[in-house]
Amino acid sequence: MRLGLFIVSAIVALGQQRNFVSCPIVRDTKTVPCFLAEYEGETYYLGIQQDITSDFHPPQLKHEVLVEGRVASGPRVCGGIPLQPVSISVLKEVNLACNTLLPAEPGIEAPAAPRGPGPSSRRAEPSRSRENFTGAHEFSVLYSFNDDYLEYAANQVVTEAAAYAKRIHASAVKVAGYRATTLLSNGDRLVEKAGLAEKRAQNIATLLHGLGVAGVTVEWKNEPEPGDGQTDPSHRRVSILVTP
Amino acid sequence: MRKLSFIAIFIAAFAVTLSAQYQDRSKSTWIEPNSGAVLPEFDAFDSNEGTIGIVNASGSVKTEGHAFFMALGTNGRACVNCHQPTYGMSVSATALLERWKQTDGKDPVFAAFDGSNCPGLPQDKESSHSLLLKRGLFRIPLQWPPKNADGSPKPVEFTIEVVRDPGGCNTSAEYGLKSADPTISVYRRPRPAANLKYVVSGGRPIVLKTGMLADVDPETKSPVAMNLMSDAREATLQTQAMSAIMGHEQASVSPTRKQIEQIVEYESQVYAAQAAHIFGGPLAVPGGPASLGPVALRDHKAGVLGDNDYDPVFGSFNSWKGTDYYRASVARGADIFMFRQFWLRDAAHINSIGLGNPLKRTCATCHNAQMTGQDLSAGWVDVGTTNYPTWTEPSTWADSSELPVFKITCSRDADPHPYLGRVIYTTDPGRALISGRCVDVGSIVMQQLRGLSARAPYFANGSAKTLREVVDFYDRRFDMKLTDGEKEDLINFLGVL
Repeated sequence: MRLGLFIVSAIVALGQQRNFVSCPIVRDTKTVPCFLAEYEGETYYLGIQQDITSDFHPPQLKHEVLVEGRVASGPRVCGGIPLQPVSISVLKEVNLACNTLLPAEPGIEAPAAPRGPGPSSRRAEPSRSRENFTGAHEFSVLYSFNDDYLEYAANQVVTEAAAYAKRIHASAVKVAGYRATTLLSNGDRLVEKAGLAEKRAQNIATLLHGLGVAGVTVEWKNEPEPGDGQTDPSHRRVSILVTP
Repeated sequence: MRKLSFIAIFIAAFAVTLSAQYQDRSKSTWIEPNSGAVLPEFDAFDSNEGTIGIVNASGSVKTEGHAFFMALGTNGRACVNCHQPTYGMSVSATALLERWKQTDGKDPVFAAFDGSNCPGLPQDKESSHSLLLKRGLFRIPLQWPPKNADGSPKPVEFTIEVVRDPGGCNTSAEYGLKSADPTISVYRRPRPAANLKYVVSGGRPIVLKTGMLADVDPETKSPVAMNLMSDAREATLQTQAMSAIMGHEQASVSPTRKQIEQIVEYESQVYAAQAAHIFGGPLAVPGGPASLGPVALRDHKAGVLGDNDYDPVFGSFNSWKGTDYYRASVARGADIFMFRQFWLRDAAHINSIGLGNPLKRTCATCHNAQMTGQDLSAGWVDVGTTNYPTWTEPSTWADSSELPVFKITCSRDADPHPYLGRVIYTTDPGRALISGRCVDVGSIVMQQLRGLSARAPYFANGSAKTLREVVDFYDRRFDMKLTDGEKEDLINFLGVL
């Protein structure tokens, strides 16, 4: 009976968005640790420890995490319902209460990891330029909530935009910064701090200039993008529009 | 008896090898400025654990008239005062204490400006130089707030207060934070002026740890690696040499371009590493680990990532497994360095850059550059050597500590330190004194791990007197749960580098 209820509730939840703030939980395994978070009595699986080049950057103990993810199909992972896609934002203020590290237990295994907890076994692939754009192209630099730190993937986007602008001798490079609102599943709204849109835009313009791109114009939108609870992470961004 | 015979055989073998490769070990080993000595291509000196080897890749070096070995300033010092071949191109605290006794404190290395706890102290007293004599620490006076290259003040995200000042320099009306030229004095070890092709390699336009532009070479405008000095404040060896001459040597006129180039040329061709060990014998031998000895450093490619299991940071030590007790221990230590997993926790600029906290990894995750064990990216990290509560001082207010303590208070609109928040007590704010950023408080640029036995004590603040204390710190800091045997293996491994 209980199993039946569980299956029904899981099916109902499938595809639903879960946006919440909580302390992350780290679950050790025989290989790499899993990162989890609890919301309304349920445990959600966020991802595993990977490398700096990964798209998933795990949360941090000593910090709350903003989770914005969609309930995915498939069995539990590391004891949690998987969220996919999932956006992770480490909130800046230290919270010493976020300190749960669970030991490895038989039967709880992490998904196969591209890199284990030891040194890498993968040889570096020769770098391939992903730049195959033509005409005007908009590059989107994404950020964690309330953050202007450029993570590895965002760093690559800026580098790529600069290379493209220089290659085509761009007539215009327009940088536009935004800040956003996140609509939480409990109805609350989290708004990114004032001034962040400008700071993000100015930082990107500085980077482009330092990478040798001339004629960069900068603008920003002080008003935060409204939150819809579905696409909020995509609005924490800087747009780089490169025009031939 | 059998063990003694073993040791005797090794000592004999090591002596024979050294006599072939290295020259006169009985000479005076402290090089004074303007001595006129000629340094051979291969040189070797006694160290705590055996022999430190020096290679001058360009051949023998005539020091007469050479800018590295000449006093270019007003206090009689030259670069060589603090970067002695005998001590792995740094200088040990033991050597400094001996030098004090030999010269009755008159050697220019004890210059009041930075060879004492504060210039205002009575310079004839040993106690006025206690940080140098006990820990090998030189005073590093840094302007506060920091300035941009054009002289404008950098924006800073925190206030700084002096809460303890045993040397008196930070509260001094003449030299301190509230003086006419506000200055923070921190105390740091001189880094080895050797193996520098590894230290300066790998500059990338955007610094992974900050998402900001890297500093650039002021002449070429190319991005630099930002791994020089404890706080990456100097972009190039050229700017470092200029700064050292104007500061440490107290020059009243700038050195010539030719002198700077001569210094950089010398530094860029000198390699230092452990060459032989009292128990391990000669280290760079056919069939042995290919990374050992200074010749290997001369010949290896710089800027190669070694955090992998197919081409590790210091190569393979497998050929030493199953051999004699000492070499087998070193090989086990190499495996611990590369493969022993533990939880890396609360380390700013490691856990905080997208890798997660905690991170289940190994020593080689951070010490990832082949041959030196530095970080291939800009290498400042707060592992906790200077910040409360993990700093290497015995306790916050301990009388035995002579380091200053600062209270950092981060502004409300700045990002706080990722693991210590907005109020931080520290003995050295590290990179934050240059960047003005709160997240950088206590972050120190990783050091190379070569020639260690010649240049104790360790860490930028000289707080680990021995390699055992280094290993104990990491064991404690990251709860590595190393056994005594594992600690011995790790120490032996570090001792042959």
